[in-house]
Amino acid sequence: MTATLTDRYIWAVQRSLPEQQRDDIDRELRGSIADAIDARVEAGADAGAAERETIVELGDPYRLAAGYADRPLHLIGPALFPDYIRLMKVLYGIVLPIAVVGVTLGVLLSQPDSAGEVIGAVAATAMGLIVHLGFWTTLVFAVIERTNAGKPLASAWNPDMLPDLPATGAVRIGEPIASAVFLLIMTVLVLWQQLFPFVTDDRGEGLPVLAPALWTLWLPVLAVIAVLELAFAIAVYRAGRWSVPFAVVNAVLALAAGGILVWLFTTNQFFDPRFAAQLEIGSLVAPGGVLAVVFAFVAAGVAVWDIVDGALKTWRQRRPVASSNAGRTSTVS
Amino acid sequence: MWQVSEIESGHLQELRRGTVVLACLLLLREPDYGYALLERLAAAGIATDGNTLYPLLRRLEKQGLLASDWNTDDARPRKFYRTSAEGAVLAAQLLEDWSALTRALHELDRPGKGDRR
Repeated sequence: MTATLTDRYIWAVQRSLPEQQRDDIDRELRGSIADAIDARVEAGADAGAAERETIVELGDPYRLAAGYADRPLHLIGPALFPDYIRLMKVLYGIVLPIAVVGVTLGVLLSQPDSAGEVIGAVAATAMGLIVHLGFWTTLVFAVIERTNAGKPLASAWNPDMLPDLPATGAVRIGEPIASAVFLLIMTVLVLWQQLFPFVTDDRGEGLPVLAPALWTLWLPVLAVIAVLELAFAIAVYRAGRWSVPFAVVNAVLALAAGGILVWLFTTNQFFDPRFAAQLEIGSLVAPGGVLAVVFAFVAAGVAVWDIVDGALKTWRQRRPVASSNAGRTSTVS
Repeated sequence: MWQVSEIESGHLQELRRGTVVLACLLLLREPDYGYALLERLAAAGIATDGNTLYPLLRRLEKQGLLASDWNTDDARPRKFYRTSAEGAVLAAQLLEDWSALTRALHELDRPGKGDRR
């Protein structure tokens, strides 16, 4: 005996129902389908067609079973969705970049043979992270959705969670001041390490931190860049707002300073060799050494952050902040 | 034009969503089984589908608003549902609310109301 369409349909519905509901729903649904078929046959339809139409009307068996079992037909419902999206933004906006930076540093420290090796390793890790962060977070939320029956998480939304409006564009005095203070501190440090060395060799002679050769070219160049940075910060402050030319100048200055420092660190021209030898860090600051890589990485990171920061400030200024809608709130009472 | 009817049917569906529950609680003060109830609802002008009604009956039973008995006297065994005491109380509340809403909406519809300019 071949199974009828009804048998196959009911089996498909039951398959995803809890055990204790099955027999009861089987009996009732079988009766309901038979009633509907009878009604159609009485109205003049052919028996086969009547069965088929009845089944079509009941629709996808999975959907019907979900109705019986009170099971959601969505992965993450409206009660959890805002928390889900907020968490995803944190994971992809903060955790992922931090992890990528960390992995990049790790790969650089392992003394890679080529830039391609670095890019390959970092890209592979980043891809893996993107997939894992998304998958496991979604899985956990889907499980909560099914076990917690759609109740919102403990963190009910409240007005304190509102983000601040983006800065309205006025450049604060803090930026040129910070720039000036930075320039001052750097000048003092550079002079101090040369005039009052705090590390001495075995004969008691002071050893400067910076390689003496730097004084002939690179220290003056870096000093000029620092002065330009200060002048730049003052110019932005006087203009009152960031603009594309400012962002470009900012990027050029950051690239120049960062590039010189990265080059000095990676070619071991930054530290006085006698100083490094006295502290026994000669091999660490040598090209490919741990400290050389870390210092170069930090210098590059600061430069990249500076460029991104300038670009972000410029970009934000292009979108005027909504203002003075206050008069339109409630005219109808 | 299909867009307009799409919007219309969406809003109609939204408006009618809760009425099937109320209609079932009212109709099942006289016990009945799934398919017959479907036909009575259709005859009363409250159209719904079996795939909505059958799971709904189970849910209302689980909530204690309906009670059920298997009738095996006929050749075809049927599960008869009837409105429980709690179900009748809820039906009265829902009907009261529905009437209040109807009055309020008709009040808004009266000329001179609701379009202050």
